[in-house]
Parts: sequence; structure tokens; C-alpha cells
Amino acid sequence: MGILTLVLVLPLVGAVAITLLDPQDTRSIRVGALVASLATFVASLVVLARFDTTVGGFQLQEQMAWIPTVDASYHVGVDGISLVLLLLTTFLTPIVLIGDWDRADRVKGYVTSFLVLEAAVIGVFLSMDLLLFYVWWEVMLVPMYLIIGIWGGDNRRYAAVKFFLYTLLGGLLMLVAVLYVFSQTGSFSYQAAVEHGFGVTEQLWLFGALLVAFAVKVPIFPVHTWLPDAHTEAPTGGSVILAGVLLKMGAFGFLRYSLPIMPDATQQYALGTGEGFFSVPWLLILAVVGILYGAVVALVQKDIKRLVAYSSVSHMGFVVLGVFALNVTATSAGVVQMINHGLSTGALFLLVGFIYERRHTRQIAAFGGLAKQTPIYAGLFLVVALSSLALPGLNGFTGEFPILLGTFQVARWAGVLGAFGAVLAALYLLWAYQRMFHGPLEGADNENTSDLRWREIGVMVPLVVAIVAIGIYPKPLYDIVEPAVQTVLEQVGVGQVEAADADGIRGTSPTTVTSQE
Amino acid sequence: MLAQTAGATPEIAWSSFAPELLVAGVALALLLFTVARDNRIPATVIVGLLGLALGAWLLSQELWIPGGTVVGLSALATSMTIGFEGRHDLSNVWIAGLAALGALLLTGWQWVEVLDPQLQAVSQGLSGGLATQLQGSVAHDGIAFFTRITVYVTVLLVLPVGYGYLRDREIYRPEVEPLVLLAATGMALLGAAGDLIVVFIAVEMLSFALYVLVGLARRDRRSQEAALKYFVTGAVASALLVYGMALLYAATGTVDIAAIGQALGLVTTPDRVAVLGVALVIVGFAFKVALVPFHLWTPDVYQGAPTSVTAFMSAATKAAGFAAVLRLFLLGFGRLEDVWVPALAVIAALTMMIGAIAAVVQRDVKRILAYSSLAHAGYAAIGVAAGSAAGLSATLWYLLTYAVTTVASFGAVVAIERRRRGEVSLVDLKGLGRTSPALAALFSLSLLSLAGIPPTAGFQGKLAVFTAGVESDLTWLVVIGVVSSVIAAFFYLRLMAMMFLEEAEEGAPEPVVSTGLSAGLAAASAAIVVLGVIPATFLTLAEQAAVLAR
Repeated sequence: MGILTLVLVLPLVGAVAITLLDPQDTRSIRVGALVASLATFVASLVVLARFDTTVGGFQLQEQMAWIPTVDASYHVGVDGISLVLLLLTTFLTPIVLIGDWDRADRVKGYVTSFLVLEAAVIGVFLSMDLLLFYVWWEVMLVPMYLIIGIWGGDNRRYAAVKFFLYTLLGGLLMLVAVLYVFSQTGSFSYQAAVEHGFGVTEQLWLFGALLVAFAVKVPIFPVHTWLPDAHTEAPTGGSVILAGVLLKMGAFGFLRYSLPIMPDATQQYALGTGEGFFSVPWLLILAVVGILYGAVVALVQKDIKRLVAYSSVSHMGFVVLGVFALNVTATSAGVVQMINHGLSTGALFLLVGFIYERRHTRQIAAFGGLAKQTPIYAGLFLVVALSSLALPGLNGFTGEFPILLGTFQVARWAGVLGAFGAVLAALYLLWAYQRMFHGPLEGADNENTSDLRWREIGVMVPLVVAIVAIGIYPKPLYDIVEPAVQTVLEQVGVGQVEAADADGIRGTSPTTVTSQE
Repeated sequence: MLAQTAGATPEIAWSSFAPELLVAGVALALLLFTVARDNRIPATVIVGLLGLALGAWLLSQELWIPGGTVVGLSALATSMTIGFEGRHDLSNVWIAGLAALGALLLTGWQWVEVLDPQLQAVSQGLSGGLATQLQGSVAHDGIAFFTRITVYVTVLLVLPVGYGYLRDREIYRPEVEPLVLLAATGMALLGAAGDLIVVFIAVEMLSFALYVLVGLARRDRRSQEAALKYFVTGAVASALLVYGMALLYAATGTVDIAAIGQALGLVTTPDRVAVLGVALVIVGFAFKVALVPFHLWTPDVYQGAPTSVTAFMSAATKAAGFAAVLRLFLLGFGRLEDVWVPALAVIAALTMMIGAIAAVVQRDVKRILAYSSLAHAGYAAIGVAAGSAAGLSATLWYLLTYAVTTVASFGAVVAIERRRRGEVSLVDLKGLGRTSPALAALFSLSLLSLAGIPPTAGFQGKLAVFTAGVESDLTWLVVIGVVSSVIAAFFYLRLMAMMFLEEAEEGAPEPVVSTGLSAGLAAASAAIVVLGVIPATFLTLAEQAAVLAR
């Protein structure tokens, strides 16, 4: 068994082992889940150690026949993009398990769901077979549905079903696209799909089907409406994983599947290089709309968790903008921004969860002057908020700035409008911070709010360390990501072009590059 | 044709329907035991000795597996009747289960001994197609064998699930097992039927047994209503079917399906009589396998029938009906593809959508599952409409995955219904996840499989039919299937939500799970997972099944 299979199987083994434990013995259950998730994290560090950052393409591949009649195989591998997302997943899962340590309600089901979810997400990132990818994509739905539906807030049923149906519809359209690819190539192999070279019309249809699936997941405006509900109703751990990892699956899907398999369609949808309907850069427009819309709506939220949820819509807009600006600077930064968003929004959701446990409310108006009463909490909140609004020196900046820089070279207007999103982010986050933590300490509730306990501080420390480290020295991250992004962009046919003029892009035919070697 | 063979003694290839002989024989023996009443044990001993003698003769002919099966079955049946003395119902269900197991064994033997060498001959170009027996009446091919597997596996799962349930409701009669076995015989025969006469006989055989089974609950009005509805619509369907067959005979001068195919292939413009015949046959089978707009009996009958019977009907009848549809349409009416492919595609689209949409507004769990079975008939029909070898094997494979899934889901309903002694509505599922987590988990597994979420059998089934659809340029139909799946997922989720997201009501009765029920449910669930994760073995079999007998 290779190391990637080990990473994939460890959480599942943990989940199976936990189902055998006595439901009353919550301590063993929690410890068991934590051990399994930490072991997975260690295994993913081994993957990192064995990964050769000097070359693009897929490494550490493992392949085994699965359904020979349709040439579907168990085929896994990592490139730079999936590696960093894998690390993010295995890093966040133990943090979530510790963060929800005190949860007493049906602990066994809760941690089992998280371990299965972790395995499914890892499966999505590692799969190199279209069918395998689809399988993990759908498997992910069930534990997340249960996490929102069983352990969520008052309106959890509605949110859970909405989440499930949105994603399922997208997923099934993706299945149709995958089946079409299969009918043309006779195989579910990712490599075969990339090398096939579909006609432009075929590509446009396929891209459209995958767009629905991935756009729902990212989410891209206007199919984002499930996200605020799901986030608000999900338990803290669920929100962290949802924002930290699940949203990344959509953007990852674009980079792994849409761009390399449908290069012409990518350019038409993203940059508007086609005729008629496709002469408009739809994806850049939607990304910018998402950035501004998410930010403006976040500004008027009264519930701090909903505010963070809408800020996710805005931040993921930046990721989409970066990915579809289609130059190395912006696209690499888009990948880095996925990590940054996972860390800082994950941390924000944890912090919101901590205060909710104490006060059982999330209304911003209910808080005030907490900086005096809970200095540690206030300090951590400030650091994370600053990271989220892209203050230089913290991680958000290292992603958002290059995205805007790269976008500016391709589509000036998009870069300019996107920058307003960063301004608005400062507004809604700092304003919320001001209302919650500054001013006079009024009311018995605020005066009795206790500061963070050691366990909670312990959970935040690794996140803050990562936030600062990436903010100061992002180069190692870019070193891993850039070769993979380079490869993807070469497959789109814009790899070497400093995409300053759209004519340069229009002229190039897609050059398919084998990334296997 | 008759003149040619009149003089010679016809060579009857018993092996071609050996499993049916076994199952029907056991059914008759069980009826005999029941009639014997107080003399049950002597009757069993006599029949057992006869069976042993037959088995010994078969063994002397070096037919090791059939001989061994008959010997083993006779010995076990006799010893069981004596061992369970005074508990005839228990020995009945065991003997019937063993018969189904023996039939599966014989099917495996047929596959290895008969089908594999022929398939090799075909693939090496030595032979143009597979053999039929009894002058084309019984086909010896993959459709027949795969349908047998599906039908007998269903019987094997349904018998233990129904055992305790029927007794709890006090509607058990000793005729239940023989009737199930006779229906299974008809179904398996339908899968193997090579000419229209055998098709019709098999249809009637399975229908009559099912009419009685549906009306088993004599004091329950819904069961009586269901039986009457099923009987009347079934009779109409049979009449249409036989009229369509008559027209086909008129148009082609033969009842042999392969010969009909050849005859229709000769003419350039299809005969109107033939087209009308095809249309009537479509309608007849659409009634039998419940395709829109010939589905109206389904919800009432599925709801009213005893639940274990519903499970059997929805799983096995569909498998058999579709097997016949596949053979008739691909082999017999291949020439008229332009006529029936669009018609069937439209019917499939309607079925998928109406099944899914109608289920959303239902409150009764059995009715929900009934409408969902409609939608599933639509998915299976995609494979038929694909009209290709891939579509054929996809449909067969789909029906197997659907059979194990549906038995598991109705099995879970049985567990809940047994304590409630009445209808199971959505509300009755409340809090099941807390009160009986294992049952709720297994029910959810079967629901996820019905919804086609990987890694379950249902996903693999849907994958296969959707693939076949896309390959045959029926992408629009597949997209409708996708939309219908999303709608369907909504009500499957609602069932799951009731179990896990709601708290149990005060004093809600706990479900009853007996040994037989848990065994059947566990086996079906295991099958769901195994077929979902490592489908390769059975998919290969389904693929082999695509070579038709001519």
C-alpha cells in the first residue's frame, strides 16, 4: 500500500474502529478520532516530504484495476495543487475535533461523520480517475448532510436538505459530463480525457455541465444561496470544514478537470474570446460580482456567523478570479488564497463558535466592550480578522494581492473592481470588531463572559502560527503550487504567454502536454 | 415444422430449465405436504426417497452438480420436516429457501457448463450465436441466466424477511412459500422464453401466483382492494399482450422471437399489422413492469399487498418483465427500432419524472417506495431504449442492484410495520435513529442506494444505464434521469431526516426485528455494499449476458 492510499484509508479505519466502541464511552471515542486524524496528518506530512517540488505533474501515483469493464481504476496521485489542499484538510480535521471536544450530544456519530468526510475530501483531491473522483464527490455529501442536519441549529433541516440537493444536482450534471467523456474516450482515466482533444462545441457543453457542479460548490454567484444557510446552521466544526475544505473542492475541480480537459471552452467562458454569447468574460464578471455582492451583504449582517459566511462568498470570488485570470501569477495566487481562506475563515468560525458556546447568541448587537473582559479572545479575533481582510504581513495579503496583480494584466476592470472587495472586507470585518470588542462593557452578559480556556487557545495557536508564517514567508507554498499551475496553464494553451493581450490568447491553439512524466 | 419432427422422439434438453424444474418441483412437494396434514412426515419421506432416487440417477449420468443438488435438497428437506416436527411453517420456509439456493447453484452450473463454452465459441468465430432449446422455445443465454440469478436471489432474501411478518399479521398460510416459488418459476421462465407462447405462459404463471399473494390478508380491505385491482389490470394487460402477439404472428407467420426478427428484417417498409402488434406488446409489458401511463395500479397494489410480497413483486417481477422486454425488442423487433425506441424513450422519461414527482407528496412510506419503484422502472428502461449490447447488460445489471436494494428497503419497513400493525407513515419513522440505530442505518443505506449515491449498488446500476444511454446518443434522456434523481433524492432524504433529525415520539413502539428479518436485511445490505464497491465480477457476467441466443 502506497503512502497516498494510507492517507486515504487512515480516517476510514479510524471511523470503522470508532463504530465498534461503546457510545457512552465518549472519552475513548474522542481520543480515538483525534489519534486517527493526527495519524492522517502525519502521513500527509510524509507525502510532503516525498514530493519533489522541482517538477510539475503528478507524483506518487498508485493504480489498480477497479471496474475493468468500463476501464475505471483506483488511480491516485498528487500534484502541487492537490498536495497543499491535502495538507489543509488533514491539518484542519484534528483542529476541528479538538475544537468541538466538549460536545456531548451523540459524539460517536459526530466524530465518525467527520472522519468519513475527511476521507471523502482527500479522495476528491487525490483521484486521477473521473469515476473515482465522482464517487468521492458524492460520498462527501452524506456525512456533511448528517453533520448539518443532526448537530446544527434551529433551522438545520432546511439548510441540510438545501445543501444536499444543490450539490447533488451539480454532481449529477457532472456525472452526465463524465459519462460523455467516457463515451468518447472509452475510459474513465483522467489522462485519457486530457489527451483526447474535444471539439470546441463539445467542450462548451462539457464545461457548462461541470461549471454547475463546481460553481455550486465554490460557490459562485448566483448559486451561492445554500452557503449562508448551511454555514449558519452547521455546528462549529461543520462550518470550519465546510469553509476550510469543502468550498475548495469546487475551485480544485476547475483547475484539475475543467481547464486541462476543456482548454478552448475555458478561455471562452473565462476571458470571452468566443463569438456571441461567449464574447463576454462571464466567469470574470461573476467572480467580481461575487466579490462585491458577498462583501456588501456581509456588511449588513446582524449575525456574526452569517457575516463570516457571506465573507466566504466574497473571498471565494477572489479565488475564482485568480483561477480564471489564466496567468501564472493570478492562478498560483488563487491556489494559495484557497489555503489562506481555509485557515483564516476556519479560524473565524472557531472563534464565533467559542463565543456562541458562552453566550448562546451570535447577534453582533448583543456584544460590546469585550476587549476588556476577554483580552485573549479579542486579540486572536483581531489577528484572524486582519488576516482575512488581507493586511500585509498576514497570509491573506500573500494571496489576494497577486490575484489582483495578475488579473490586472488580463482584465484591468476586473482587477480594479476586485480591489474594492478588499476595501469592503476591511470595512465589514473591522466594523464588526469594533461593535463587538470596543466601547463600554455594558450588560451582565458581557461582564460575565469568560475568556478562552487553554484548550481553545491551544486550538487557535497552530492556525495563527500558520497565518503569520504564510504572511511573512509564502515562498515555500508558491514553490509547491507554481509548477503544477504552470502545467495546467500550458494545457490550456496560455502557459508561456504573459497574458497581457487577449489576441495572444485567441491565436494559440491548445497544446496538450502530458503531465505524467 | 411439426411434420419434420413428428416421427422422431424429441430431444428434451432438461438442463436448459433445470433450476425451474427444481423450484417448481419443490413448490408442488410443499403443496403436497400441506395437503397431507397429519401424514406430513410419511409424505415427506416418500417424496424425499423419490428425490434421492432421482438424484442418484443423475449422479450415475455423471451430472455431478444437479445430482448433488437434488440429493442434498431431498435429504435436507426430509430431515428438516422431521426435525421441526409440529412447526411446519418453519420447515416450509427452510425448504423453500434451500430450493432457491439450489436453483442458484444450478444456474451457476448452467453458466459454467453451458454458457461459457458457447461464449468462447462465439468469440472465436466458430459459432454465430448461442443455442436455444426445444426448437427455440427456451433460450440458453445470458439474459436467461442473469434473470435467474436476480429472481432467485430475491426469493432467497424475501423468504426470511416475510416469515415472521406474515405470522405476526396472522395472515400466513402454508401456500405462501409454494406460491412464491411458482411465481419465481414463471419469472425465470419469462427470462428464458424464446417464443411468444412461452412468454405468455410465463407471464400468466407469475401473475396468477402474485394475484393470490397480494390478497393474502383476507381481513384487510386494502389487501383485497389491491388484489382485485392487480387482477383486473393484469388481465387487461394480458389480453393486450396476447392480442399483440397474435398480430405479430399474423404479420410474420411465426411465434419464435428470433424468427420474427428475421421476418421483420426482410421487409423494407414495416407492416402496419406488425407495428400495431409491437405497440400492443409494449403496452402489455408496460402494465406488467409499471411504466407511465400504465402505472396507475402500482401505488395501490404496492401499498395494500403484504410488505414482503411487495418487496418480491417490485424486485423480481421487474427483473423478469424487463428480461422479456429486452429479448423481444432487441432480438425480435430490432428492425422496427425507429418505431419503438422513441416510444420507449418517451415512456421512460415520463415514468422517471412522474414517479419522482408523485412520490414527493406521499405520506405513506410504502406508497413512497412504490412511486420510487416507478422511477426506477424508468431508469431501467433507459438501458432498453439504448438498444445496444451495453444497454442490455446495463439493464440486467441495474435490475440486480435494484432487487437487492428494494428488498432491503421494504425489509426495513417490515420491521417497523410489525409492531405498529398497520400502515407506516412518515411520522412513524421519527427518532428511529435513536431508538434502533442499526435498523435506521440499514434503511438509510438502502435509501442512499435507491438515490444512487456511491458507493452503493444503486450507484453502480445507475452508472451503467446512464453510460449506455449517453453512448447511444440519448443524452437528453439521461439528463431527465438526472433531474428525476435529484427530485427523488429529496424524498429519500426526507425519510432519512425523519429517522435521524427528529426526536422519537413518546411511547412510539419499537420495531420488531426477528432472526429471519435481520438475516435477510443484513444479507441484502451486504449485497448493496459489495455490489457498490467491487462490482467487477457481476458486471462481467452482465456483459457476457449481452450475447443473445438466436
